[in-house]
Amino acid sequence: MSDQIIKPDLKFTEAIIAAGGESLKKCYQCSTCTVVCDVTPDRKPFPRKEMLYAQWGLKDKLLASPDVWLCHQCSDCTAHCPRGAKPGEVLGAVRKMTIQEYSSPSCMGKMVNDAKFAILLFAIPTIIFLFELFIQGHLTNGIPRIPNGQLMSYSLMFPPTAYIDPVFVLTAIFAVVMFYKGVKKYWAAMAANHPEPPRKDVISAVIATIQEILTHSVFEKCGVAKDRSIAHKIVFYSFVGLAITTALAASYIYVFNYNGPYPQTNIVKWIGNVSGIALLVGITMVILNRFKNQEKSGIGSYFDWFFIFIVYGVGLTGMLAQILRLANIPVLGYPMYFAHLVFVFVLFAYAPYSKMAHMVYRTTAMVFAKYSNRS
Amino acid sequence: MQTSDKPSRILVIGGGFSGLTTAVDAAESGAEVIIVEKNAYLGGRVAQLNKYFPKMCPPVCGLEINFRRIKTNPNVTFHTMAEVTSIAGEPGNYDVTIQVHPRMVNSKCTACNACAEVCPATRSNDFNFGMDTTKAAYLPFNQAFPQHYVIDTKACKKDCGTPCKDACTYGAIDLDMKPETLTLKVNSIVVTTGWNPYDADKIETLGSGKVPNVISNMQMERLAAVNGPTGGAINRPSDGKPVQKIAFVQCAGSRDENHLAFCSYICCMASLKQTLYVREQNPEAEVSIFYIDMRTPGRYEKFLNQIQADQKVTFIKGKVAKIERAKGGDVTVTAEDMLTGDKVEKTFDMVVLATGMEPAGMSHQIPGVNYVEGFAASAAGVYAAGCGRNPMDVSKSAQDATSAALKAIQAGKGR
Repeated sequence: MSDQIIKPDLKFTEAIIAAGGESLKKCYQCSTCTVVCDVTPDRKPFPRKEMLYAQWGLKDKLLASPDVWLCHQCSDCTAHCPRGAKPGEVLGAVRKMTIQEYSSPSCMGKMVNDAKFAILLFAIPTIIFLFELFIQGHLTNGIPRIPNGQLMSYSLMFPPTAYIDPVFVLTAIFAVVMFYKGVKKYWAAMAANHPEPPRKDVISAVIATIQEILTHSVFEKCGVAKDRSIAHKIVFYSFVGLAITTALAASYIYVFNYNGPYPQTNIVKWIGNVSGIALLVGITMVILNRFKNQEKSGIGSYFDWFFIFIVYGVGLTGMLAQILRLANIPVLGYPMYFAHLVFVFVLFAYAPYSKMAHMVYRTTAMVFAKYSNRS
Repeated sequence: MQTSDKPSRILVIGGGFSGLTTAVDAAESGAEVIIVEKNAYLGGRVAQLNKYFPKMCPPVCGLEINFRRIKTNPNVTFHTMAEVTSIAGEPGNYDVTIQVHPRMVNSKCTACNACAEVCPATRSNDFNFGMDTTKAAYLPFNQAFPQHYVIDTKACKKDCGTPCKDACTYGAIDLDMKPETLTLKVNSIVVTTGWNPYDADKIETLGSGKVPNVISNMQMERLAAVNGPTGGAINRPSDGKPVQKIAFVQCAGSRDENHLAFCSYICCMASLKQTLYVREQNPEAEVSIFYIDMRTPGRYEKFLNQIQADQKVTFIKGKVAKIERAKGGDVTVTAEDMLTGDKVEKTFDMVVLATGMEPAGMSHQIPGVNYVEGFAASAAGVYAAGCGRNPMDVSKSAQDATSAALKAIQAGKGR
């Protein structure tokens, strides 16, 4: 260690400051933060060392470490910090930069994190779905036509097998490929940076990680922002529920050749509705918690709010589209369904670059940490 | 501003070390000085100290000299148990109102202790930070100046005063004494209101007030003092066990925007000094000092080097942010040892919090005095000195007080 040459990268420090870590330079390295943190390992704890790396711009140490993702931004550190240096927010900014660092193409990462491109990002799926309406002949003079039918059915607007699934299967493949590329780079960087021999095999590390995610056992240790773990758990399980809903619906169509709309008594409706309501409740709690903890843990950046907006949009348009269909108000229902498709596309297509990516990077970091006997 | 050949008349608010120095310096150069002191005795915080750093000599020695200079100088008068309630006027010409609280004991008192012997009531001893008690009729401490007893009327309920009045053969006890209001005309004012130890109970992570055997550095001064609650034996409060393993926790409230946003200047030196108290008393004792930066300005560095050379003293770079109760009255302290980069948990017999200096102006401000963030600030005619103006040690307080005395004399003369 003693012959190691430290090369400060002040551009990287500036980038962290720009990414939401404005308070970074206030840190005077007292290490109150590491002591009050209930989720850090005792050996080489965070976030004091991360604050030092950030001040020195030691990019490799920050971006090739699992530690920034072991942080759940409980904000106990920020609340007790004697200098107002807000380590929780600095690590949040570093996590955002980790996603941008490893995701490709990198221009996508920049666009997702820049309000100037928000309209463009929404315009892409809008154009795709308008084009689909056009080739079906549902556009007259550029204006979508409300489908005729005795009973409202969104499959009249977009028949699923021909117009919905191909788009979303392609989107999902794109997201998975991009995530795979990013995670591969991230894992390699961490492995290069932590040469000490692993004591666990990857499989048991994965199993332990899944257990930790399902129980939120670490997140629950948070002090100041304790409510966040509850809100996150609700959102997390609502996504699980919605994934089950999607899988069931797909099996109805492709296995049982049973097309919707399904009656409200059907199991797929039960799971979908419960999950949809949970999603709205959970994401509303996320927003309320952010306002409630604003003083002690900060309100968050564009990156955070863009993701919250998408999740809220998916949940709200989905729920409203169903209600409007049941109420048989086609003039509002069909546009709402269109909006829902746009939001879902934004959620999936940009997942490798948005805060949605935390799901993949955090999981990877947790597995690596367990694999390298870090936590 | 008036110009006159009459000597300057100076009001000194606060009779601690700075106030005494200002008073003596001004009076000995011909000014007339009135000291107003809130406590029942002069000497302030210095009277509570066991030893001075870095010379490790007893502070009472210097105080005694100042008391003698006051006693023999007709230019100095003082009021104890008194507070300034208003200041009106302009530089060179101030009208000041002073509220004097009743001592219930007059100047006939010879400090014979007869009243305390018969006194049926007790009170928590604030001079020793609540570590012991005194009778409701008490002498603040053995070398208190003036050497007069006080009756704590809060502790002394109705009729409780009768036995001591009967026991006093000098007619010194006057239970009918009433609060008095005095008005004074002075040319200038020096504010030397000093400091209070920061209330460590406000620091939620450090266990003060919750975990037994977590004490403040000022309590440690009293614990080590011969006239303190243990007669100078450094025994922990919960069970009186002589301290073998002790930790000092630096920056307990200081350099912290949630508490005191400034460095209190003296705490590092105070902990080093108190390390010597422990090590001199018990050659087997082990001392750990947890710090962010050891701040020993100027030539005090040598004092740090001296303590660092002691094999039984360990310095751990990392601020303590968790203090918990351990078995049998012990105390567990958690910090990150930044030099190894690992979290450490250590258990001690007793933990001393190096609590900082809260200037008096943070809890009470005198109308007519300028304050900046709780610190008294000088203005024409009203000058601030000592720890009420800025955190400083005793020798710097003396310099600050002398400088304020000079300004006050000049203001009185109209320059």
